[in-house]
Amino acid sequence: MLPSIALVGYFVYASIGYNVLVSFTDWNQLRPSYNIVGFTHYAEMARDSVFSVSFLNNLLLILLFVPSSIGLGLILALLLDSKVRGEGVFRTIYLLPFSLSFAITGSLWAWMYDPTSGVINTLLRSAGLGFLATGWVTDSNMALYCVVLALVWQFSGYTMLLFLAGIRSIPESQVMAAEVDGASRFRLYGRIIIPQLKSSTLATFVILMVFALKAFDFIYILTGGGPGYSTFVLPLDMYRETFGMDQYAYGAAIATILFIVVMVIVVPYLYMSSRRREV
Amino acid sequence: MTFPRPTRILLYVVLILFVFAFVIPFWADITTSLKTNMDVIVTVPVVPPLDGILRIFGLVSPSPTLEPWMIAFQIMGRPLLNSLEFTIFATILSCLIGSINGYVLSKIRFRGSNMIFLFFSIAIFIPYQTVLIPLVLTMSRLGLFNTLAALILAHTTYGIPICTLLFRNFYKDIPESLTMAAKTDGAGTWRIYQSILLPLSALPFVVAGVFQFTSIWNDYLFGLVLAQGIDAQPASVALANLKGTSTASWNVLMAGAIWYALPLVIVYLVLGKYLIKGYMAGAVKG
Repeated sequence: MLPSIALVGYFVYASIGYNVLVSFTDWNQLRPSYNIVGFTHYAEMARDSVFSVSFLNNLLLILLFVPSSIGLGLILALLLDSKVRGEGVFRTIYLLPFSLSFAITGSLWAWMYDPTSGVINTLLRSAGLGFLATGWVTDSNMALYCVVLALVWQFSGYTMLLFLAGIRSIPESQVMAAEVDGASRFRLYGRIIIPQLKSSTLATFVILMVFALKAFDFIYILTGGGPGYSTFVLPLDMYRETFGMDQYAYGAAIATILFIVVMVIVVPYLYMSSRRREV
Repeated sequence: MTFPRPTRILLYVVLILFVFAFVIPFWADITTSLKTNMDVIVTVPVVPPLDGILRIFGLVSPSPTLEPWMIAFQIMGRPLLNSLEFTIFATILSCLIGSINGYVLSKIRFRGSNMIFLFFSIAIFIPYQTVLIPLVLTMSRLGLFNTLAALILAHTTYGIPICTLLFRNFYKDIPESLTMAAKTDGAGTWRIYQSILLPLSALPFVVAGVFQFTSIWNDYLFGLVLAQGIDAQPASVALANLKGTSTASWNVLMAGAIWYALPLVIVYLVLGKYLIKGYMAGAVKG
């Protein structure tokens, strides 16, 4: 176990520390440079328009993606919980996108959204709805929504799974009792089932938030952050500054901000769930 | 819960509509990958290239070709082998280490064991962006840049925390009496692990193994920053590059996506229920 503590200690904890250190230096070329410049790079962010656009996009991504995935996942879970024949088949299909690499789903959705001969536009045209065909990811007003739609497609099978597990853990007797009392279906969902999904919802919420904060692969592959900066988010900004423009110190500062935000969400959640387990 | 009949039919209709929405991208992927360059542009993607068969019904459709699959394999072959190699090595290593850690943290009482558990738990959640610069720097200092060894080392290390958690949670539920009995018989720490815990570990090894295989196989970020060269390039990076360079040949890109997805889809269909267990346990990894 000791070697693994050393590995994780070095590649996780020491690396985070080193990253924070770099964010205070003037390392802005390929060769490392360690002159301390304090909070300069953090102050720079306030003036950097690409950073603020990325930040706002990231916020919008969270606001749209998280509730949509939770909503769709919950609907799928409730539908599948109604003693459906072939439940396993449906579940397997709904969960498939989540199991695949973003490199694959990014390619698939690039083809879906392609304006000239892509799937969505050709389908619209052959259905006589050609006037609805647009540029999708090549339209800077729509690109972020296209990204959200594709991500909801990929993640809602997973949220379905988490909710399904939550529903299955509700004692059968409670549901039976409510049915005997003549509770309508909507009352049953509203009063018995959904209120007991609080902890599943919280877990799902935290997972999706954290994902949306560090979403890189899918957006980088599908849009590269464009058109313009319309789908730029913080991880893409960090990548571009660091590996595209050799602004290592500034990239490290963005990464540090990301780290702090993720920890602010995760640590209280970990604390709460570990306390719940002990009680 | 059971619904009355008309509602049930509606329920299935809704479920099947969702199936369509989930499947369309895959369907269009397969149909496109079997079309010629020309047909990709002039036909509707979702129409399958089944010339002879659809003609019976008086429908026009393009004739199928396997050429995109062959072109894609020429490009993706080497990266696929790379991916297979580092994924298998890193999966096995991280599971073995996770198993030993899980054993130590669940069955041996020592001061600070809770601290070490916390040390691994928090490491599961870190955003990789925060370690990217040190990681690239370390790998190039070690002379491992653009090698499979770099990917094996990185994926093993960042897989240890989640594997530790999976194995610890499993071993925790193995009755203390089993290990105690072995201890009174004079078995050492290592002996207990080998002869009692390990033989009972088939399930967590499959769960952690499938989970690790999936996440390492699917990784893009580490491949992007550590292995752009052809010697170690993962299939994910090769596929993304394919998309970047050849906007004209969608059929080749779609065929490449199928080659890359194939091993994972097989794992998913055969061992899906273990993967689900891994998803539930390792919820926040990513």
